[in-house]
Amino acid sequence: MSTLNVGDQAIALDKDGFLVDLQDWSHAAAEALAEREGIPLTADHWEILELLRQFYQEYQLSPATRPLIKYTAMKLGPEKGNSPHLNRLFNGTPAKLAAKLAGLPKPTNCI
Amino acid sequence: MTTLHVIAHSPFGDERLASCLRLLGTDDALLLCGDAVYALRSGSEPHRQLQAAGLAQRLFALDEDVQARAVGNDLAKAVDYAGFVELSLHYDKVNSWL
Amino acid sequence: MAKSLLIISRQAPWNGPSAREALDIALAGGAFDLPLGMLFLDDGVFQLAPGQQPTAVQQKNLAANLQALPMFGVEELFACSHSLTRRGLAADTLALPVQVLDDAALAALIARFDQVVTL
Repeated sequence: MSTLNVGDQAIALDKDGFLVDLQDWSHAAAEALAEREGIPLTADHWEILELLRQFYQEYQLSPATRPLIKYTAMKLGPEKGNSPHLNRLFNGTPAKLAAKLAGLPKPTNCI
Repeated sequence: MTTLHVIAHSPFGDERLASCLRLLGTDDALLLCGDAVYALRSGSEPHRQLQAAGLAQRLFALDEDVQARAVGNDLAKAVDYAGFVELSLHYDKVNSWL
Repeated sequence: MAKSLLIISRQAPWNGPSAREALDIALAGGAFDLPLGMLFLDDGVFQLAPGQQPTAVQQKNLAANLQALPMFGVEELFACSHSLTRRGLAADTLALPVQVLDDAALAALIARFDQVVTL
């Protein structure tokens, strides 16, 4: 367990750096989480994070890499929904890292 | 591809046996073990279902489970564990109804 | 070529872990690109009933999770016609797009897969 300081709020993280309470997520929390990972968030990142939150809304689970690529391709087109693009944005582990930044639970089928 | 279906639950109050008999292919076989051997009790409803299914040489029962439960067996070919293994290898796949 | 696997899910959704476990096998296998099929049989067809409210029994939304199957690459989804009819579930009201198969078609389906597991 550790905490993430966002403004004057201390947010609890689990041992892998995921939010303990998904309600704690905000754009500022995402920025702070990304900073811990050394990733400056760009518009390209944000659209994937929004997409992930939409995925979770729809299916109530975090996608593994393959469904993340498929969903992204479906919603944003194949030039975004492919593994080089997503790997580049999220340091080679898009399912895990993007879920973390989007404030989703850790994907269960992620090795 | 052929399938050996394996059922270990009692046929009373559960649909496994009835569903399995509906889905059984013409080259598939059924092995009863554990409480599933109660289906072999003559005069019982599942015994009648098994008779009606006419599985002939494609119905097997684990002998030690039959003996332990004293159900009698006039329908299924009795096998021991070695026979069970042989059957598992003979069919392309095994479907255990967990 | 990886071996194909048919997962037969035959337990009702809110009665023990079986329905969840069957789905987890499907999602995990799909994530690894295995050729999978899923068949809803017996009480398993209740997983497809429309309008379920799992939060009423403090459960995760299995029906919502099931919707993710095609996204995980599991597109071969089937339900047993006999099981649906017995339970008064109409094929055109189901919460998931499944092919409804009669007994003969189900026997052929089971024969087609390399491996089968029934939960």
